Amino acid sequence: MTLPALHRRDFLKGCCAATLAGGAARSYGAFDSATSTTQDTLVVVFLRGAMDGLSLVSPGQSHPDRANYEANRDATRIPYSGNGAGLPIGNTNWQLHPRAGVLNTLYAQGHLGIVLGAGQLQPQTVVRSHFEAQANLESGIGGGAGSGIGWLTRHLVSASLPANVAVPAVSMGSITAQSLLGSTEAITMASGQDFRLDQSNWPWNSSDHYDPVPAGFKGLVEALPAMWQNSPLPLAAAGLSTLDALALFRSIDFSLYTAGNTGGYQPSGGANYAPSAGTIGSTFGAQLRNIAQLIKRDVGLRIATVDLGGWDTHNGQGKPTDGYDYFGNQVQGLSEALNAFYTDLATDVNGNYMQRVSVVTVSEFGRRVLENSSGGTDHGFGTVMLALGGSVNGGQIFGTFPGLANEQLFEGADVNVTTDYRRVLAEAISARLGNGNIGYVFPGYTGYSPMGLFQSSTLADTVFKGGFE
Amino acid sequence: MSPTTAARAAARSRRRALSTLFAAAGLDAGTTAATSMHRPGKPAADTRLAHPDSSAALVLSGPPPANAWLGRATFGCTANDLAAFNALGANDAARWTAWVTQQLSPATIADGACDARVASANFQALNLSPNQLWTTHHSDTSNYAHRMLPVAEVECMTIIRQTYSQRQLFEVMVDFWHDHFSVFGWDYDGGPLFPAFDALFRDTSAGKGVFGNFKSLLMEVGKSASMMYMLDLYSSTASGPNENYARELCELHALGAINYAGVVEPDQLTGQYSLPTGTAADGGAIRLQYVDNDIYQVTSALSGWTISGSTWPYTAIDNQPLGAYAFDNNAHYKYQLFFLNRYIPANNGQTAGVDVFNWLAAHPGVATFIATKMCRRLVGDNPTPTLVSNVASVFLQNYAAPNQLQLTTQAILTSPEFLATWGQKMKRPGVALVGALRALGADFTPVPDLDNPNPLYRTNTWTTSDAVMYALQSAGHRPFYWPAPNGYPDVQTAWASTGTLGMTLRMLGQIVETTQDRNVGGSPYLADVQGQTLAAIPVAGDRTAANVAGLWCDRILGYRPANVYNAATDFMRQNALATDVLDLTTDAWDVNHLSKHYTKSRLRSMIALILCSPEFLTR
Repeated sequence: MTLPALHRRDFLKGCCAATLAGGAARSYGAFDSATSTTQDTLVVVFLRGAMDGLSLVSPGQSHPDRANYEANRDATRIPYSGNGAGLPIGNTNWQLHPRAGVLNTLYAQGHLGIVLGAGQLQPQTVVRSHFEAQANLESGIGGGAGSGIGWLTRHLVSASLPANVAVPAVSMGSITAQSLLGSTEAITMASGQDFRLDQSNWPWNSSDHYDPVPAGFKGLVEALPAMWQNSPLPLAAAGLSTLDALALFRSIDFSLYTAGNTGGYQPSGGANYAPSAGTIGSTFGAQLRNIAQLIKRDVGLRIATVDLGGWDTHNGQGKPTDGYDYFGNQVQGLSEALNAFYTDLATDVNGNYMQRVSVVTVSEFGRRVLENSSGGTDHGFGTVMLALGGSVNGGQIFGTFPGLANEQLFEGADVNVTTDYRRVLAEAISARLGNGNIGYVFPGYTGYSPMGLFQSSTLADTVFKGGFE
Repeated sequence: MSPTTAARAAARSRRRALSTLFAAAGLDAGTTAATSMHRPGKPAADTRLAHPDSSAALVLSGPPPANAWLGRATFGCTANDLAAFNALGANDAARWTAWVTQQLSPATIADGACDARVASANFQALNLSPNQLWTTHHSDTSNYAHRMLPVAEVECMTIIRQTYSQRQLFEVMVDFWHDHFSVFGWDYDGGPLFPAFDALFRDTSAGKGVFGNFKSLLMEVGKSASMMYMLDLYSSTASGPNENYARELCELHALGAINYAGVVEPDQLTGQYSLPTGTAADGGAIRLQYVDNDIYQVTSALSGWTISGSTWPYTAIDNQPLGAYAFDNNAHYKYQLFFLNRYIPANNGQTAGVDVFNWLAAHPGVATFIATKMCRRLVGDNPTPTLVSNVASVFLQNYAAPNQLQLTTQAILTSPEFLATWGQKMKRPGVALVGALRALGADFTPVPDLDNPNPLYRTNTWTTSDAVMYALQSAGHRPFYWPAPNGYPDVQTAWASTGTLGMTLRMLGQIVETTQDRNVGGSPYLADVQGQTLAAIPVAGDRTAANVAGLWCDRILGYRPANVYNAATDFMRQNALATDVLDLTTDAWDVNHLSKHYTKSRLRSMIALILCSPEFLTR
């Protein structure tokens, strides 16, 4: 379904603010509420620091751009044969970084799709600053972040969620992702364990510190609800729902199951979120694990954001044959955590949750094709986006790779962008999350058409009923 | 019954009770008093862009007027504040007038104790000039902690002054204007120069700062390095224009999106000129709404406004010291410009940009926009049109006055709306934290710790300052940490959302337990609440749950709302009577006599309970 495309200016003018404010009847810029909704979850993984897409997915031996690639990359080159060789991606002439073996398996199984030449086509003067480019991407208005409303916030506003959803969104990290800026429906937490009242002193914090609970004991946590319930102030209603969410999270043990900690969370299928020795991403893995746990708890999670940083490889990026391959460690950390997430959700005894979970990776831009003199790469333009899920049309490479010949490079230096990142995200929210209000979620983004990256969700796909109190 | 089942059962009974409560109050509870983060009637997003109809101020019973007024004009009304206030006159009205007058001239208020505390923190970068900040910190590309020390110090100094300064209204307004001209303090380029930016608000000389002249402040902010880096003005040239600052200058700093007329194509020359005009404060005609073309014109007018040394080849521009404002005429757009139906001649150099600032500051729409925001900060989320209009008039009439903002602030604080309103604002987490520190008489001097392995600078441990700042960050309100130029939200919708409110409650529980040095066992608490309680109730036989709860309700809230007082009393007494004497000097295990079980700790948790009340979080 197409809607009149909204210019960014129109959005800022306040036409959408009225709808943000809760449904004032304004036809100009209003979004269509009749779109059917799904219970799918979208996880947006932000690879912060500008991920070198050209190293994650490099031309293979028979690729027409292999010679150009080798002319530009030496200290950071992924070989096509011998030690450290890239992994051929299906029967394409692309190769995946050798440390992404588990992703290659998911690709072969049809659960991973790769989009080449993806990035931010707007604003027209390309932004080279990480902070600003990240802000632009997450704001989703084609440049500028002044409105203070993230694209995922606009999605949640226009997604026609059912009347009551316990926890629609989580932003994993200590500060709310800008894509969720302005949302009142997201919990921001560095780990699932953070969202609880656990900082007051031990003896009087809560009854769950005691086993058995002393007769008549009421700790701070138990005493709060009555105090809020009996308050005449307008704030009281918000506080009560907050206390309920805190109670919900408190009832969840987000720690990892071990022989000595049998109350913890045990990932399915033997999924291991901890990074292999020498790689990175222990926080990232733990946060993905928390997200998986929340999905399985049926709290109605629709959106999750999580970051993985460390991609800004200006110096010493490394290559697979190096004793210390920095970029390889990043790739393996990312790959294994995503693979653990997939396994955990796909092999649960209650069914394959991954059929209604999609993961999309974004990065603010790619890196320059010609490596620098410090064994690294500088800020570029086009990069790679990944889409992972049971309902992804995986096992395919999407998008048009713009080429590595000099005249094909953006500003003579960077991989060009041929797929607007919004095209991928728009398809995720429309095909999987059932939100067709693309013009509202991405004002100013015109000419959208799906790439076929995601299978369309149907209501019949709801294998799992959302359970609400 | 497991905690989960118990919680669910409690939730069900609470929902029934809450429905009754709402029904009795005549409020619409929606389909159910739902517990979900997403539920009918709850806004899904921070609605600051919307301008909802203002309703008449709902007056709720709350603390005494003095507490209510001081509660919004300070970071928290303490017993000392109240005592000083009461000495200012014979009745509340006279006292308030005197207090406001005094606070509007911060330079006349002695602030020795706070200054001494700031000095004790031994900050290095706060008083450096832009050039010194540039050469000492901005030029340091190898030591991140040293590079960013200036913003880390401003962050700590801000918390110190909000907590301890006698110039409380000044601190409240510094906080307001920082949000209005919001800059992400930890920007790699802007951060090292942040003290010079903060100093613009803290300047108490005539015509400057938060009680000075808006036109002057607007332009000084535009010329500051931190703002230039935030919104890219430093790199905007005639041949490579960057409209980011120009757009936000119009949309966020001056006119506001409410005065935006939309995309009016320049070739429809009748289009923008058919829009209504009005009279500006400088006496001339001016178009009331801005269009996209105005933004491009402003971009051109401000091209060449830059920071000396900030662009290739990184040498001084116009002989200005590195890091200081400089005008680069070679980068300036030379041709004529039209802004809001006014004409800027060609070859006008820096004056073109100065004209833009002057005209914006004189614009009637700006007065309304600024007045609305100031009223929203000080009175309630939805200030009445009458109040906004009155305040806007004061703002506009004093367009050229050096004390324009002083008079505007005064107009709000002395308005009948301000005096009659309580309960229409929520304390944002930073205000709640500082308010707690003030109410508890805490002794806290935060200092930066950037985990620098270099022993010359900072330690590599997680310090108390780290923990407090992180808690504030988790609540979503760390100073100068908002990533977008529109600043932290100022409406309850944003801060009462489950995520932020939950983490705010967590933070408040934490601050009561925070010690001076979390890495040293037995380190004293920031707030010696036990000592204060014993001193305030010197006769041991008077130390009952009722008296202790009453004492701290008075100190923290200024009154004893039934729900909080009862909850605190019940929590403190446990299985004893409210009038039974408690031994506040022990911390011993006694689960069979809960009134004797870890009593010292229970006192702290009781205080946390009061801090975690809707009454504390409302102002």
